[in-house]
Amino acid sequence: MTDSQLTDVFVETADTLVGDFDVLEFLHVLTERCVELLGVSAAGLLLTDQQDSLQVVAASSERTRLLELFQLQTDQGPCVDCFRTGRPVSVTDLPAAQRWPRFTAAAAEVGYAAVHALPMRLRTEVIGALNLFDVQPGALDEGKLRIGQALADVATIGLLQHRAIRRGGILTEQLQTALNSRVLIEQAKGVLAERLQVDVSDAFALLRDGARSHNRRLSELAQAVVDGTEQLVPNVVPHPRG
Amino acid sequence: MPGPVGGRVGTGVVRGYPPVFARYGVPMSPDRRLRLWALVVAEARGAVVAVEHVCAVSVTVTGADSAAVAVSLRSTPREVLWASDRVASRVAELAVTFGEGPSVEATSGGPALVGDLTVPYCQARWPAFAPAAAASGVRAVFALPLQIGGIHLGVLDLYRARAGDLDGEQLADALVLADTVCAVLLDGPSQSRPDEDRHRPAQPGLRHPEVHQATGMISVQLRVSVEVALAHLRAFAYAHDRHLRDVAGDVVARRLRFEPEPAAERDS
Repeated sequence: MTDSQLTDVFVETADTLVGDFDVLEFLHVLTERCVELLGVSAAGLLLTDQQDSLQVVAASSERTRLLELFQLQTDQGPCVDCFRTGRPVSVTDLPAAQRWPRFTAAAAEVGYAAVHALPMRLRTEVIGALNLFDVQPGALDEGKLRIGQALADVATIGLLQHRAIRRGGILTEQLQTALNSRVLIEQAKGVLAERLQVDVSDAFALLRDGARSHNRRLSELAQAVVDGTEQLVPNVVPHPRG
Repeated sequence: MPGPVGGRVGTGVVRGYPPVFARYGVPMSPDRRLRLWALVVAEARGAVVAVEHVCAVSVTVTGADSAAVAVSLRSTPREVLWASDRVASRVAELAVTFGEGPSVEATSGGPALVGDLTVPYCQARWPAFAPAAAASGVRAVFALPLQIGGIHLGVLDLYRARAGDLDGEQLADALVLADTVCAVLLDGPSQSRPDEDRHRPAQPGLRHPEVHQATGMISVQLRVSVEVALAHLRAFAYAHDRHLRDVAGDVVARRLRFEPEPAAERDS
């Protein structure tokens, strides 16, 4: 990570937040920036569904195995502990970790050696966690921890910002809207996977490229795909992603 | 070994059990879904679980006075499906008539939780609905979308004469019950048999991404809307006594395809 990379992310984020933006697209970009800035292998954001559980809303990669790993932590794992305590949780050597046997086994199987979870905080509440995976064992240094926490805070701000502030209940409204948008994305991935005969992991990239090239919001395009009003035929054959 | 969210092994049908899980700063809660479903079944008193039973429980657990469910199917007008009393019926109809209010916003957006309709903000935002609802004796409206991603079934409204927000526990219960209304609407009365716990309808929430991916795939396979596709997926899981997410996993892995029924078979 260089200072200029950090500056770029700061400028990009500020630029997004003052405009009209799609919250899922924003959170997705943020997870990608986490990977770049913190030098980790993968990043994901999990939000409370306010019904006693955490749900994945965005990830730096839509690979099924990775999404499963995030989803596994809805009931056990570093994210849950981080969410519950409001403090960062790090496991620097996964294969040696005794806690959460199901999660650590699954993470090690995919090849991850370390996992970190940073809280998404809003005043006295914790609304979710930023989850980082690394193939290298070891802790995040102090500088990276601070940047990681700042990125988690930016995600929180983005969630609250993305629509005009309304009355009380705003947090619930935004959280539920974000979670529901994620369900919509999954449905749209399914529609595209079947229509274009591609893997669901690749369908997200098609959706996102489509939104960018047509200058449309990700969730609006996803709704149009689900409704069948948008066919989203790619002009190039999607290349398999590694 | 139980699945990631602790689906009970042996009953053969997944019911989306949430994990027992603590909120930050709040003691561990018992299984919210089990507790609420038990209340719904008790409310049905041996009858088939229907929307009104779920709504009656939602009134009790949230401290509301009344509730209504309005459905909004594409290309048909919003329609009040059920209301618990005259006040609920009147206020729900007001929203339909004026085309504004928390429940109108919740039909297409996220929840609209309004602790006090008489504040200037609300009076300005809903100039026809807010004064009329207040005149009918309703100060607080909590409108919860009956929504599963791109599927918009309608809205569950909770009404209360007293101003004030829902607390965290009431809100969590209301969100679970809104999910339950979705399940009942999707499955129809025949699926929601209250006699055995294993017939508790699967919650349509996020938990298993493959369920939503499969829904999208089936909608293309059958050339139907996503809501019809999800209803088919759920019906298949019930009929074969299998976990919803396992059936969905088979669809996503392309081990299972839904084929449109030939016309002759449909008629027989």
